[in-house]
Amino acid sequence: MRVIKLDKTKLVEYLRSLEEWGEVWGPVRKGEKFVFAKKDPSEFDLTARRTILPPKKFFVPPRFTMFSYRDGRWEEEFDESRRIIFGLHPCDIFGILILDRLFMEHYPDPYYIKRRKNTAILGFSCLPDEKCFCIATNTHSVEEGFDLFFSDVEGEFYLVWVGSSLGDDLTRIREDLFDEDVTEEDIERYIEWRRKRDKMFKTDLDLTGMPEIVEISYKRPIWEKIGEACLSCGSCSMVCPTCNCYNVVDENVFYEERIKRDRHWDSCMFKEYSLVAGGHNFREKRSDRLKLFYTHKLTGFMSQFGKPACVGCGRCVDACPVGINVPNVAKALKGEKVDAIWARGEE
Amino acid sequence: MKPKVGFYELTGCAGDMLNMLNCEDQLLSLFDVVEVKSFAMASSAHDEDTELDIAFVEGSVSTEENLHLLKRVREKSKILVAVGHCAIFGGVQISENNWEERLKKVYGDVNFIHTRPIPHEPLGMFVRVDAVIPGCPINKHQFLSAAGKLLLGTMPELYSFAVCAECKWKENECLLMKGKICLGPITRGGCGAICPTHNIPCIGCFGPVEEENVSSEYKLLLEKGYSPEELRNRMKIFGGKVREVK
Ligand code: SF4
Ligand code: SF4
Ligand code: SF4
Ligand code: SF4
Repeated sequence: MRVIKLDKTKLVEYLRSLEEWGEVWGPVRKGEKFVFAKKDPSEFDLTARRTILPPKKFFVPPRFTMFSYRDGRWEEEFDESRRIIFGLHPCDIFGILILDRLFMEHYPDPYYIKRRKNTAILGFSCLPDEKCFCIATNTHSVEEGFDLFFSDVEGEFYLVWVGSSLGDDLTRIREDLFDEDVTEEDIERYIEWRRKRDKMFKTDLDLTGMPEIVEISYKRPIWEKIGEACLSCGSCSMVCPTCNCYNVVDENVFYEERIKRDRHWDSCMFKEYSLVAGGHNFREKRSDRLKLFYTHKLTGFMSQFGKPACVGCGRCVDACPVGINVPNVAKALKGEKVDAIWARGEE
Repeated sequence: MKPKVGFYELTGCAGDMLNMLNCEDQLLSLFDVVEVKSFAMASSAHDEDTELDIAFVEGSVSTEENLHLLKRVREKSKILVAVGHCAIFGGVQISENNWEERLKKVYGDVNFIHTRPIPHEPLGMFVRVDAVIPGCPINKHQFLSAAGKLLLGTMPELYSFAVCAECKWKENECLLMKGKICLGPITRGGCGAICPTHNIPCIGCFGPVEEENVSSEYKLLLEKGYSPEELRNRMKIFGGKVREVK
């Protein structure tokens, strides 16, 4: 992997130059939170923490049309736009790698693949806040899954990892802005920065051996208590970078003389999700739905792909109104103290 | 043969009818493919004898006349669609129990000549309802989506999940997390989460979501410092008779 340097004062200029390749998106502030938006790079917020929606919105938008049927013919609708997404943190890059395996390996999804191939991933290093726990999921450092990765170490330069041939092409657009000369001092600074970053995590979450604990906990009453609090609002699934379930619906657009097939995000937290023909519901109870969600996040993916599907981004911590999230659920299963509405009055 | 369709109004504000009429361009296409037999607000066609394929009914049942019309429409229609909150849940008018008292307060001691008022009820209290289009008022896209499906002889497939889903799709900051009384989690989606998108908490006008967890949201908001009375009042507005707030 090639590692080069970029003068920090040249970042905006560089990102602007990439507009020649595609739309440039990056994190901008929205109230107290952040979102990925298509804006001038001078508006990107380099201190951004997790965005409300993860980057999955670029590859599987919340709702989109797959194809239309008109005059006896059907026509697929692909999103052909080329996009550069700047400012992805390690957790989000891990999230994309998990989606890649789901949508590109066994059952290739043409809509995902088209968008994914047209998107350049430009990572950016970050410092954790009190909700980040990627250090517990071991997703705080990336080795793959990006085209370029910018590390904001102390000093005047970003260290830039070139992770793909597309990334290499993108640096060639403004070769003049980069410096090939990574010095011993730069390397030391980077190592020091990592040490400092790792010490900043506030989380005390330890996920070692979590799959076993989840497996032996299926019948424990704690699930009923969490289930009583769950609002089935689905927010957790919508914001999770690795939640990927969707529903497919047909619409008769009679006023345009066509029929279209749409895909929209779904959630295993919704009752209808587990409803099958004939009226049987496999997960009638909220507690059963929560078990499914947490099995996927803490163990399920493990048996299929060798890794749990939680990347420690903390979005469920931000999104669940009643404090049902990976750190709280994992701790509760391990008998540790939890500060959540469903865990009060327990001790 | 074109499907025969009727639009009927019982007691309500006609907001749903208005929203359907607001679909101007698409409505003309609809009138091309169906035969409208009755449309209270938009046409003089009043053919009350023909059998209908689809009847759209707005409003709650609030008078004997309403009830009579509803039963007639049900008898002659293959599919009856309850349109809007009043038709599905009874509307804001059923949120309190003191019906007689309120009637007196508004009309005084009068003799009703034309028709006698009866306590407000949703259509489902009296007849079979085959499909619903929720909202106060309904969302135009949901009406078109439902109409499209019904024209093909299949049932509408509107969102059955809570407002929060679409709210997240729009990447809104969560107002409930910020301590506001947002009823999104206990309210049926389909409106595009317009209120939170404009920074206004959801008051629940699409009615209770099928599996609403009122007690959890109530407990949560109590913890955030709201009074039981305030919460009860807010949750009752669009709760119909299905929502029980302790
Ligand atoms: S489960 Fe929570 S912390 Fe883990 S990846 Fe999903 S949203 Fe992020
Ligand atoms: S766990 Fe939380 S965010 Fe998820 S559905 Fe339940 S209440 Fe909503
Ligand atoms: S703002 Fe309201 S509707 Fe939106 S996610 Fe929060 S609780 Fe749900
Ligand atoms: S956000 Fe709530 S109050 Fe606003 S339109 Fe939707 S359902 Fe009605």
